[in-house]
Amino acid sequence: MGNEAIARGVVEAGCEVASAYPGTPSSEILPAIAHFADQLGTSTQVEWGANEKVAYEIAVGATFAGKRSCAVMKQVGLDVAADPFMTSANFELNGGLIVVVADDPGCHASQTDQDCRYFAMYARIPCFDPCDAREAKEMVFSAYEVSEKYRVVTMLRPTTRVDHCRQDVELKEALKLDNPAHFERRPYAGNIHFPARLDRESIPMRNQRYARIQEDFETAFPQYNYEVPAKGKASLGVIAGGICFSTIMDVLKGLGREDVSVLKIGTPVPLPLKMVEDFIARHDRVLIFEETYPVIENQLLDRTKVMGRWNGHVPMERELTIDVVKEYLLKALGQEESVSPSLQKFEKAQEELGLFVRPPRLCPGCGHRPSYASIRKAFPNCIVCSDIGCYSLSKQQNAIDTIISMGASITVASGMYLAHKADGKGTDRPIFATLGDSTFYHNGMTGLTTAVYNRHAFVLGIMDNSITAMTGGQDHPGSGSKMREGEEGVVVPLEDAVKGCGVRYVKVVEAYELKDNVQVVKEAWEYARTHEEPAVIIFRHPCLTKLKVKQEQHPVRVDQEKCIGCRYCIDFFNCPGLAFDEEKKKAYIDERFCINCGVCPEICPHGAIVFVKEDDE
Amino acid sequence: MQFIIVGIGGQGILFTSRVLGHIALKKGQKVVGSEVHGMSQRGGSVISHYKIGEYNSPLVQKGEADILLAFDQMEGLRNYDFLRQGGSAVVNVHDPEHFENEGLKAFFKERKISLHRMKGYEILKEHMKGNFLFLNVLILGAMCGADLGGVSLDEVKEAVSELAPSRFVEANLKVLDLGYQAIKG
Repeated sequence: MGNEAIARGVVEAGCEVASAYPGTPSSEILPAIAHFADQLGTSTQVEWGANEKVAYEIAVGATFAGKRSCAVMKQVGLDVAADPFMTSANFELNGGLIVVVADDPGCHASQTDQDCRYFAMYARIPCFDPCDAREAKEMVFSAYEVSEKYRVVTMLRPTTRVDHCRQDVELKEALKLDNPAHFERRPYAGNIHFPARLDRESIPMRNQRYARIQEDFETAFPQYNYEVPAKGKASLGVIAGGICFSTIMDVLKGLGREDVSVLKIGTPVPLPLKMVEDFIARHDRVLIFEETYPVIENQLLDRTKVMGRWNGHVPMERELTIDVVKEYLLKALGQEESVSPSLQKFEKAQEELGLFVRPPRLCPGCGHRPSYASIRKAFPNCIVCSDIGCYSLSKQQNAIDTIISMGASITVASGMYLAHKADGKGTDRPIFATLGDSTFYHNGMTGLTTAVYNRHAFVLGIMDNSITAMTGGQDHPGSGSKMREGEEGVVVPLEDAVKGCGVRYVKVVEAYELKDNVQVVKEAWEYARTHEEPAVIIFRHPCLTKLKVKQEQHPVRVDQEKCIGCRYCIDFFNCPGLAFDEEKKKAYIDERFCINCGVCPEICPHGAIVFVKEDDE
Repeated sequence: MQFIIVGIGGQGILFTSRVLGHIALKKGQKVVGSEVHGMSQRGGSVISHYKIGEYNSPLVQKGEADILLAFDQMEGLRNYDFLRQGGSAVVNVHDPEHFENEGLKAFFKERKISLHRMKGYEILKEHMKGNFLFLNVLILGAMCGADLGGVSLDEVKEAVSELAPSRFVEANLKVLDLGYQAIKG
């Protein structure tokens, strides 16, 4: 896997401190670093930070002490870490520092389509953009070389298809660096940023450094930046960044076209401009494929021969999948693909057979589902501000109203409350914030402290499954486990953290107890409203993907007599185990997915979902 | 050899591509593929691409896949256009009537696609107490039963034994045979 290849590279390159916060598509990198560090017996310190800012700063701190370190995150994570990232870009570092930032073209599991190569350009630091897993691993070594040569934080920017690609990769032993931790006081541009000196010294240093790296990139990495020439005269030139190189090569091979020359760019920031300009000069027209923004394209001073996003020859949005690249390549070559008659028949069959979009949803038996159901049952018209995590999927059960960024459930609830308070009437609709345990540790505590301090009345529901579930089950401060063999951390109990933020109403409930929880929700809102302060309910149930023992089985069925076909269970519970027969207009249990958790009888307003008694079988 | 493996998040699709990759690597073949992780794994449509041989991109182009393994017939329906002329599909069927659709039949005929259907849920209900998590291994068995993918049942058995948690190995081998028999008859 691409993420494992990067991790292997990090350990082989002698990185001694690695920190991260999980986020798709980057999540598997850090656990793999721990795995390879154990396997190769290195002393690498491998840790989850509570969020990306924490992780990034830990890596910078280790670099101050002269170590090779790395921070790993997804693209949105760099937004969280933007503050220390931008500032550290002005430093001359003591040890090698790489930041691995995984972009997600096509937003498979993200809230933005941002291109972090722009972030590198913005901070004026170098960036490597791998075309596959093998190259991603090699680039880790190169990134450390550049980082140490220029004393600059260096970005490795894989995209989803590189992170999640499976490929065979060569393995090496780990480098043994004789590099004991040592910290020297270097007040300016080293370890401290100081406004008065910044403009005169640090920033000119950074800008000159960027120019020197650009010059270096013209020739330093022929293994990443090279041309695959056409046979004979090229009818088109293609510049391909990152994964797009792998894509275009397979497309050309599939089409059997040898009249297209390709310039591969693996170091898009700063762009080896002379190399690219020379390529453009030798072609009549040049098409640029890169993800997700026009970063190579926008560094070009003369775009008259360039066919790219600026003039509509490459789509502004969407992932550049192999089919999209093929489509736009053929267009540039003046060929249009025609739809074959058999494909038309196929599309008609899809329509007739009722092909539907199947969006992701919460697992059958997930504790989040009844937690949200208890809130909606208690207050059908309440406002529920939600957050980033599995529970975003509760959108499918019409349970949540807003999602922005990690921790924003709490702060948005504050804003909602204040908006109503400004009218002088108080709230007519109860306000709820909901987020998961990992998200709470990530960025929930600052918002909650603010809400307590300023007397914001809302109920915070923490959906506690004791793991970072959405990204595949990583540990966090509430679980206390660590990744390297033989290392144990300290548990920071969720209730204590909440109370530490100043909250005076905290209730812990079992998420499956839907009926009782409706009452708890009502009480909590009453407390928040009358005391003008946040009340917290911790809805607890372990993540089913991490269960070690099978939980109790309570098979249910839908009484077809009692079911009136109101779809309440479908619309407001939305469990894969509950399906609706459109012909009979009745709900039924879909045995393929039901895990017999026994929660749904409580949800039916007509008592039509009943337990299967043992003597029925 | 290019594979497309489709189904619903939670059906254990990743394991299937891991098995295929494991076998290919043992034979010294080059592999490249793309998987789905994170949010899309939770009950939504899932697609894995897998290519064995001299390829660069981890993605399979529409109309170029040799084999499509569908854990769910509706997910199969979403993706049959990945198959090349003369390709093959192994599909877990829950509603056989679906395949009586004229347009679908015509598409399969014109593309010369060989379709292998298997009632996976019924088989697992009858033999494995309805543990549908074995679907991934069942489908691999069926693929071998249809003599597809250039891998033998023994190779798959060996790979599954090496990759599956030890307490499930025996059951997995049994399911492989069930899948094999379901197609081979």
